[in-house]
Amino acid sequence: MLQTLKKYRAPYLFILPFFILFFIFQLIPTIWTIYISLTDWKGIGSPKFCGLSNYRKMMVDNMFWESLGNTVVYWISGLILIICCALLIACLLNSRFLSNDSARAFFKTATFLPNICAAIAMGLIFRMLFDENVGLVNEVIAMTGGAKVPWLTSTTFSKIPVIILNVWRYTPWFTMILLSGLLNISKDYYEAATVDGANSAQQFWFITLPSLKNILFFCSVTLTVDMWKLFNESYILPGPGTSNSSLFQYMYESGFNVFNMGYASAIGVVLILILMVISVIQFAVRRRQGEL
Amino acid sequence: MKKKIALLLAAALTAGSLSACGGGNESAPSATAAKGGDNGSAAQGGDGGQPAASGTVYPAGTLTVYAMGNPQYRQQYFETWLENHRDIAPDVKIEFVQTEGTADIREKITMTALSGATEDLPDAAMLDPVTIMDLANAGLLKDETEYLTPLLDKMVDGAAKDATIDGKIYALPDSVRPQVLFYNKEIFDQYGIDPEMMKTMDGYIEAGRQLKEKSGGEVFLSYIDPTSKTWRYWGRRGLMPSADAKIWDDSGEVIIGSDEGTKKALGALDTMNSEGLLMKTTIMEPALYDAINNQKVATFCIGAFWDEFMRQNCDAVKGQWRVMSAPEFEGVQKAGAPVSQYMGIIEKGDNPYSELFRMMWYDFTFDIDAKEEWVNSMEAQNAPYSNPVSIEMLEDPFWKEPSEFYGGMSFREMEGKCLQNGADNLIVTPQDAEADEIISAELEKYVAGNQSMEEAIANMDKNLKAKIGKAQVN
Repeated sequence: MLQTLKKYRAPYLFILPFFILFFIFQLIPTIWTIYISLTDWKGIGSPKFCGLSNYRKMMVDNMFWESLGNTVVYWISGLILIICCALLIACLLNSRFLSNDSARAFFKTATFLPNICAAIAMGLIFRMLFDENVGLVNEVIAMTGGAKVPWLTSTTFSKIPVIILNVWRYTPWFTMILLSGLLNISKDYYEAATVDGANSAQQFWFITLPSLKNILFFCSVTLTVDMWKLFNESYILPGPGTSNSSLFQYMYESGFNVFNMGYASAIGVVLILILMVISVIQFAVRRRQGEL
Repeated sequence: MKKKIALLLAAALTAGSLSACGGGNESAPSATAAKGGDNGSAAQGGDGGQPAASGTVYPAGTLTVYAMGNPQYRQQYFETWLENHRDIAPDVKIEFVQTEGTADIREKITMTALSGATEDLPDAAMLDPVTIMDLANAGLLKDETEYLTPLLDKMVDGAAKDATIDGKIYALPDSVRPQVLFYNKEIFDQYGIDPEMMKTMDGYIEAGRQLKEKSGGEVFLSYIDPTSKTWRYWGRRGLMPSADAKIWDDSGEVIIGSDEGTKKALGALDTMNSEGLLMKTTIMEPALYDAINNQKVATFCIGAFWDEFMRQNCDAVKGQWRVMSAPEFEGVQKAGAPVSQYMGIIEKGDNPYSELFRMMWYDFTFDIDAKEEWVNSMEAQNAPYSNPVSIEMLEDPFWKEPSEFYGGMSFREMEGKCLQNGADNLIVTPQDAEADEIISAELEKYVAGNQSMEEAIANMDKNLKAKIGKAQVN
């Protein structure tokens, strides 16, 4: 091993800065989090070892399970809606209908704008839009003869504004990634398909989608991590109780509103485990498909 | 050569990363360099209260205070104070740092203390009883017992009660504000309803029914908030103490599910809500202010702090509002619990401004002329202020002056009077923050229509038992 290190010392030295930062800011805090999850600690004073009691508490905590369920809803809805919207917009930006370069540049910029807006500011605007009494959405509904919807004050509807904000914020980023993938697909495939008589839908299904497989996989992995770490959107658009809370938000609130650091760390450990399991499954599926 | 350059570059990157991770310490002052002499006792005057500042000149720097609400207005008082005391603090500045609330203050103090950067801790902070308990247990608050004990007789009853832990006082009283009933007299006159009937909770609910009936459902008795503020303002500080309700028994066991007071308190809220007497809207938001300005909401049974929000946002109904003591439940005869706020001096080794802050606090609390001048300035700016905790100051005619917003009634005088029949607050425990989160979540689901009040109370009991079990009751 030492010989290998000596032989490849230049490459190892190049990757050393990453590993130093990884150890200091990720690995050590993760180990510390696991330790804290086994203690009763309010953030000040000395942590008291309490074994698995934080994990036992989690099993009977309705708010934890509700937050976990909400996160799954945000994850699944995000995965489906964001990737579909991003793919649709990317295809439109790449289509021959946008032959004018300046028009294409304008629409690309306009598409990306939601991603650079501050999440909290956008959340506040969405809160105003979905306000039950004076919100624009309900005003429009009322104008069309409908009844006002208690968007953020009812557990039935409260997740909808969060999902919409989520899709609105994340779609641009994945649109750009998918657009870069679309631009890399050779035009020859499409020309050959046209000659063979394939229509647009067939070209999309048999050329575009298979060519984007790896990029779509990358998008689904990063989107999964993003959705499980969702915080701003659900924090700024709260529903009754924990009806809108994400697991990440519940972890933060347990740590910094209630100051139950041991319990918050236990939630953090569970979050790490869930993400690891999902990632392993995603990679296993891809490996089985012979793509990795 | 290329290889050597590459190696050098990699080594430089590594060194750069390491140096970036390290903390600079060249400008960090020693946290223990100049200990002692800051417990106030050495500088105390003959009355055992106001510190005498003879000969002491405070070092140049900034006295930092973490606060909430609108601390910039409080800063005006202290800046003036410093200007008037340049002989002892020639180069001292004061900065009130705006925070979101006590949880935010606690988070900032805790994280700073954990990181070991004690020099970055504030010199003082605005605190509530739960935070005082946690910070005092962690040794982050100065013991003010010796300094405050001689002053207690000069302050309103219970001024230091919630800052007292095991017989020691850990913070300086800042305000004690009662639960009051704000009502729009013009609305009551218009519908011929006597506001006096609202002295009892049954009368209060009946007034709501009459308002609804006579206005054809246009006027609501009050509001109900779909967020955690319903528990905060209607529950913990309002109906629960006035109904003598309990979350824990004396040994810390959860009893909210079987407590008669809780059923009485939350039952009253349920009656008002289910009969459509409460407007469902978020408090402190434009929709509610619009409703108040349009005479759609007739009363607020809430803490005296609501005065500043009304004055700032409800100019259209200026002169129409009045204040009376909060309604009492039959058999308890108490009118809501007062809310106390404190200023804690942070224990951070060498805190050069501890004594200076005590002097400022003393004048803010007991200097009649300076306080009145500041309050007049606050009135002119429509800014917040609270009644003093000093008994002598409260007896001054200034605190009985009529208020324009309340049609000539003296809000300040009423605030003082409403303290006289205040209920005891719910027991303070270190588990309160977590308990509030659990209780509020169930109440929010009730407001959303997902469960009945009986189910909400049963779920509160079940979840408190499952998550907390037993509270630490001192």
